[in-house]
Amino acid sequence: MEYAKPLPQVNADTRPFWQGCRQHLLKIQKCKNCGLLRCPPAFICPECLSSEVEWVAAKGKGRVYSFAVYHAAYQPGFQDELPYVVALVDLDEGARMITNIVGCDPGEVYCEMAVEIVWDDVNETFSIPKFRPLQK
Amino acid sequence: MLHAVGALESGACKYVLISYGHSARSGDSMLRMLSDMTGDEAIYGHFGAAGGYALAARRAMHEFNTGPDSWKHIAVGQRAWANLNPQAMMYDSRLTDEGYMTAKWLIEPFRLFDNCLISDGGRACIITSVERARDLKHPLVTIMGLGQHNPSGDLQKADYLAGPTGARIAGEAAFSMAGIARDDIDACQIYDCFTYTVEITLQDYGYFEPSGGKDWFMGGTIEPGGRMPVNTSGGLLSEAYHMGLTPLTEGVMQLMGRCGPRQLGPETNTKTPEIMLCSDNGGILQTHACYILRRI
Repeated sequence: MEYAKPLPQVNADTRPFWQGCRQHLLKIQKCKNCGLLRCPPAFICPECLSSEVEWVAAKGKGRVYSFAVYHAAYQPGFQDELPYVVALVDLDEGARMITNIVGCDPGEVYCEMAVEIVWDDVNETFSIPKFRPLQK
Repeated sequence: MLHAVGALESGACKYVLISYGHSARSGDSMLRMLSDMTGDEAIYGHFGAAGGYALAARRAMHEFNTGPDSWKHIAVGQRAWANLNPQAMMYDSRLTDEGYMTAKWLIEPFRLFDNCLISDGGRACIITSVERARDLKHPLVTIMGLGQHNPSGDLQKADYLAGPTGARIAGEAAFSMAGIARDDIDACQIYDCFTYTVEITLQDYGYFEPSGGKDWFMGGTIEPGGRMPVNTSGGLLSEAYHMGLTPLTEGVMQLMGRCGPRQLGPETNTKTPEIMLCSDNGGILQTHACYILRRI
């Protein structure tokens, strides 16, 4: 079945990120000058303006900074998933990323909840990083 | 507004028109604009401004124990003002605490009435010199203080979602320029894209401590007859969405005494205003402007 949700709009900044995702590697940009981890990827550091960058692999564990529970589908592809959870997750390494929390009832999600990555292989090109409650 | 003052003070012009008009309700341009704000966040089903402010409001619930019990006072209080304003989209529509609490969720923690309206219409404001304005037919309203602060940055790096937002520094700058204290303000017109925006803005201006919002709003503080009227047209939540011009023009009109049944003063059992505070926001709490106006 055709994937009905928006897919990544890959550009020169984000290509290494999505290539990493395809291999189930969560690659985050790290500024070579000031060390800032940045997400989403960008060609220049928002703190020190350096364009020197390296990619580091994050372990895929973190905590929920905040979350929102969508009860309405603003794009038809999400209709069958209502209600679903969009979250900002703080990775243990320090970067904050937007994602979904899956694998639990939306009512069980809370700020500072420990979560771990789970990969959603949506088609032959893309794997999307999502998070679920940390398994004991 | 800062640009307008700059253009006037430099002598580049004599009048500045600030205007906004939009067929946002009958057309699809507002929805397209909001969709355009969304980049790869759409992959996760994250869209527009409501999702971003919902993330902010949820973080605030975690950090200082706010939530629907605080926000209902804002939605219900502003609706009471709209019910006095024949121009308001919600003029004929009453809202009770129960009506607020039983409305459907849109993007939780926001229920339906935590969200602003989408409107057709427009607003305009003309700014000129004090000398010129003295000759005009309406009472003179002057700008006492202006402040602007833009914490900006990407949502994914946003540590200001639960405050302090740009309102803290913008407010301090405006009060400092005006040379007055918070207690000198008679009423506020706060940019209210969502109920939570009103709470975090007033909190950052110093009206209450974090978690003090619920008590501050309780008991009719902001509605007709209240000790600190807020969003006296109904605001973006209950009058009409015309961006920052909804609060700004209402502030000016109230000071001029042109607001009819909702006019601050004896008619609504409130203080006749001399000094008014107005605010505006952009992005997801990423930009902020504060204006303090005075009737001479």
